[in-house]
This record gives sequence, structure tokens and C-alpha cells, in this order.
Amino acid sequence: MYDFVALKDLTLGYDKTIAVDRLNLNIHKGELIALLGPSGCGKTTTMRAIAGLLTPRGGSVHIDGRDVTRMPPSRREVGLVFQSYALFPHLSVYENVAFGLRLRHEADLDSKVMAGLETVGLTEFSKRQPADLSGGQQQRVSLARSLVMKPKVLLLDEPLSNLDARLRLEMRTELQRVQRDTGITMVFVTHDQAEALALADRIVLMRDGAIEQIGSAEEIYNSPVSGFAADFMGFETILPDGSGGGLAWRPGAVVLGSGPNQGEVRGASFAGERREYVIDSALGTIKADVPVTDSRYEIGQQVAFDLPRDAAVSLVRFH
Amino acid sequence: MFENRAIGLALVLPAAIFAAALFLLPVGILLAEAFQTENGWSVSAYGEFFASPRNQTVFFRTLRLGALVAGVSAVVGYAAAFAIVSLPPTSRGRMFGLVTLPLMISPVARTYAWLVILGRTGFINKFLVDLGIIDTPLRILFTETAVFIGLLQLFLPLMIISLVSAMENMPRDAVPAARILGANWFQVFWRVILPLTREGLVIGGTLVFTGSMTAYITPAILGGSKVLMLETLLYQRVTVANDFVAASVIAMILIVMSFSANLLLKRLATARKSRK
Repeated sequence: MYDFVALKDLTLGYDKTIAVDRLNLNIHKGELIALLGPSGCGKTTTMRAIAGLLTPRGGSVHIDGRDVTRMPPSRREVGLVFQSYALFPHLSVYENVAFGLRLRHEADLDSKVMAGLETVGLTEFSKRQPADLSGGQQQRVSLARSLVMKPKVLLLDEPLSNLDARLRLEMRTELQRVQRDTGITMVFVTHDQAEALALADRIVLMRDGAIEQIGSAEEIYNSPVSGFAADFMGFETILPDGSGGGLAWRPGAVVLGSGPNQGEVRGASFAGERREYVIDSALGTIKADVPVTDSRYEIGQQVAFDLPRDAAVSLVRFH
Repeated sequence: MFENRAIGLALVLPAAIFAAALFLLPVGILLAEAFQTENGWSVSAYGEFFASPRNQTVFFRTLRLGALVAGVSAVVGYAAAFAIVSLPPTSRGRMFGLVTLPLMISPVARTYAWLVILGRTGFINKFLVDLGIIDTPLRILFTETAVFIGLLQLFLPLMIISLVSAMENMPRDAVPAARILGANWFQVFWRVILPLTREGLVIGGTLVFTGSMTAYITPAILGGSKVLMLETLLYQRVTVANDFVAASVIAMILIVMSFSANLLLKRLATARKSRK
């Protein structure tokens, strides 16, 4: 189903400010979507509107064929894993997971709760209080609490950003496994392009309350449409092409030591296998990194460089 | 805290002596008054106090009004506090200021303002008569209703302040999380907000209950001698009857009631908490 979740001309705002302006987005059933963008781009606001925590100024939200725009969160059949986890501190892990099931008066409560805890590997923690758990464990409880409700859409707010590097990888694997096993539609919000690239089937890159670009990880990574998208995807040298568009190079694509251009090294730093340089030139600021085995340049030194046309990505818009 | 305990003690000592000599001692003497009779120590003064039907009426009225004001202020307070914490930070500060504003106005002035509103020719009666809803003005002043309104207005800010600070300490997103999990507003309140703000409710409840029980100005002005409460009765016993024994009994009752209210509310809070 192409438009399992559909946002139509969605306009959102707080007080006098417009956070999201006439946004249109269709999400397939079973898809894992990343809403990616810098803080303030409207990604979290959009997610909250899907959950029903925010009433739209205009437009509509559809889930599985139902117009849920005016429906309270309790009836939308969505799950949300909050960035702060939002566990109930006065309830045990078991009762946190049972919270929604109890409200629905579901049969086989015990087996459903334990199955939920099993999914996230926390069965032996059922009697603990949330405060006794680590951040990573709390997040898994929060995930289990949402999953046992069998929501149509699972929303996750910055699911990996509060975790350390090791747990981050673990949680990433976990989310992919859950998605594979349950086939649930997932929408997660992130400001980290690496997270979005690693996890999402499709990335929705947002900017100033509007969608800048939608595409698969490869599409967005390899063919950004604008300077903004290119910058977000790690193209650090972005120059105008003279006709409104632009050209962008990743640091590794810039050739140092030879070429038609001259610049002065303003910054140099060691990054393990590569050395990174910031170069001031008549063209603008150039960012390059070269293998540490290449010749080394000092700050203040003049250096020749080349921006190979065949290594550049052309951008439809410079900004 | 202090490297030298003696220094710490020396710092507390002046305040301790002051409190002991000028507060605890006279209160102790006053309270002891009721236990002294010609035949030595006895609690007969308490028996005599409660034997009087008028005293019983005053006692139960004080208890009832205190509980009623605390209960109603809790209901109104929760609604107001939730509205305040839901506001964006700048307007939250402004609303909070408005709530605390009455606390900065003299209680005498505030209470006299109620005379203007509740009196025979006050706003309410004028309004009702002009609209033709009633023919003769209602008697609101010098009734329990008037005292109740005055006390509620006096102490509601304390409840709101306690509940606002309790709600601000709730985990962010606990309420939206409950709503998404299927809770309606009543369930959100009962299962999440109430258990997480219980301590604020106990503090607010104790402040409002003991405050209402021991208020003097409001029952004196709005209730007069027709609606005596323990505090106004105490004052009357001392100034009119010069009856220090009765005053001592009433003072003791007020102290015991304040402490028991606090203990009871605390027990209620912890009992609910340990159930799960």
C-alpha cells in the first residue's frame, strides 16, 4: 500500500510561528522512514502531529485509510518511543509494559507483557523500577511498551542519540530486527545523517519546515539536490556553478599538491588514516582530506589543488 | 557540614534560645493551663469543652470547612496547575505571577473586598435582583458559604503553587506517553498525574487544611459571631470571657488537628505508593 501513512498539506505551528508549511508525504506499509534534518527543521513537530500530540493548523493526517486529523492520540493506533523514554517512574518495568494493555482490558495480559519484554531481552528485569535501569535498558522498555500495543505505525524520536557508541550499534541492530520480524511501519526522527543512512529505507530530508529531498539512502547520499542537502551528506566543498546550481565535492575528492588552483592552508588536523585540511582560496573555502602517507602541509603554507569535475556532484540549487 | 561541630552549634544556638524562651515556653505554659485543676493534673477541661453543643458545632464546622476548602482547592488546583504547566515558558511565568498576586495583598483588604461582593447590596445580590432571578437579596454574608468562599480564595494559590512545582517535576512526556498508550484524560490523571504529584498534593493539602483551620481574619469578617470557627472562638474566649482554660484547650485541639492532618495525608500518600 503506497500511502499507508499520508500527510496532506500538513501545516503545523506553535503560537505565532509556523513550524511546518504544507508538507506532503506518503509512507508505504512496512517502510522504515527517517525524518532527517537540523534542529528546528520541523521533523519532531511532524512526528508529534502523526501521533496526535499537536493539532494541525491545516491539512490532514491519514493512517491506514482513516483520516485521523481530529482523532485523539489514544485512538490512532500509533506507538511513540520518546527521546526521554517517558517511562512511568512510579510503575515497575512490568507495569510500564502492561500500561496500555490494561487500559484495553486485554486478555492474556501476563503472557503478552512477558513476550514484549522478551523481544527486547529484559524478561528478568520485569520487577525492577525504571530508575534502576540504564538508559539503554529504559529505552528498550519504552520500545516494548509501544510494541505490545501492536501499533500501525511506530514513531521513534532520536532513538539512538542518547546512547553511547556500543549501545547505539546494538539498538540499531535491534530496531532492524524488530522491523524485519514484525513488518511494522516505522518513522524515526534524527539529526544524524549516518543514523539515517544506516537504518532507513527512505530518508526525508527536512529544512525550515519543508521537505528538501526524499529518496533512498543511496540517492540522497550520492545525488543531493541542493547545497543544503549536500552539506548534510558530507560534501564539504560547495561552489556555485554560475547558473543558480552548484557543484559539490567530498573532502576525499579534492586533489592536493597539484592542479590549477592555489590556496593557503588555514587549518590542518590529523584524523587517523587521513589528514584533514581547510584551505582558503579565491574560489572559496575548500575542505580536503588526504591519506596520511601523502605529503604534509603546514598552516600558512601555499598549496596547489584541483577540484576534478568528474568527482563533483551537480546540485540543482546552490543553497 | 562544618569542620568543627561546635561552630555549627554556636550558629544555631541564638535562634534556638530565642525560639525556646519566647515561643516554646509560653506555648507550653498556655497548653499546660488546661491540664491544671484544683485537684492537680487532669484532662477534665477537654471533657467540659466537648460537652458543650456549641463547642461541638464549632469544632465540626472547623473540621468540615478545612476539609472542604482543601478538597475543592485540590480539584480547582489540579486544573489550574495543569493549564499553567502546559503553557510555553514565558506565559507560564506570567500566569504563575497572577496566581501568586493575591498572596501579596493584605488578607484584611482581600477579605473586605468580599464584603463588597457578597453583601446585601453587593455585586452578586444586585446582579440577581436586577435580572429578576430573586426578589429579596440573598443572605450570603455571615454564613458558612461566605467563609468557605473567602478561605478558598485565600488558600487556593498555595495549592496551585504546590501542584505546579510537583507537575514540573514529572518526567517530561509522561502525559503524552500515556495518551498515546490509549489513556483518556481521566485515566491520564488517575494513573499518571495523581501518583506522580502525590507529594505536592499532600503538601498543598496540609497547607490549605491547616491554613483554613487556623485562619482568623476571614472567619472573623465574613462569618462574624454567627459562624464561629475554632480560631474565632479562641479569640472570643480570651477577649470576651477571659477564659484562658478554654483558649488553651482550643489551641491544643488546633495543634493536634494540624499534626494529624499532616500525618494522615502522608500516610495516605505512602499507602497508595507501596500498593504496587
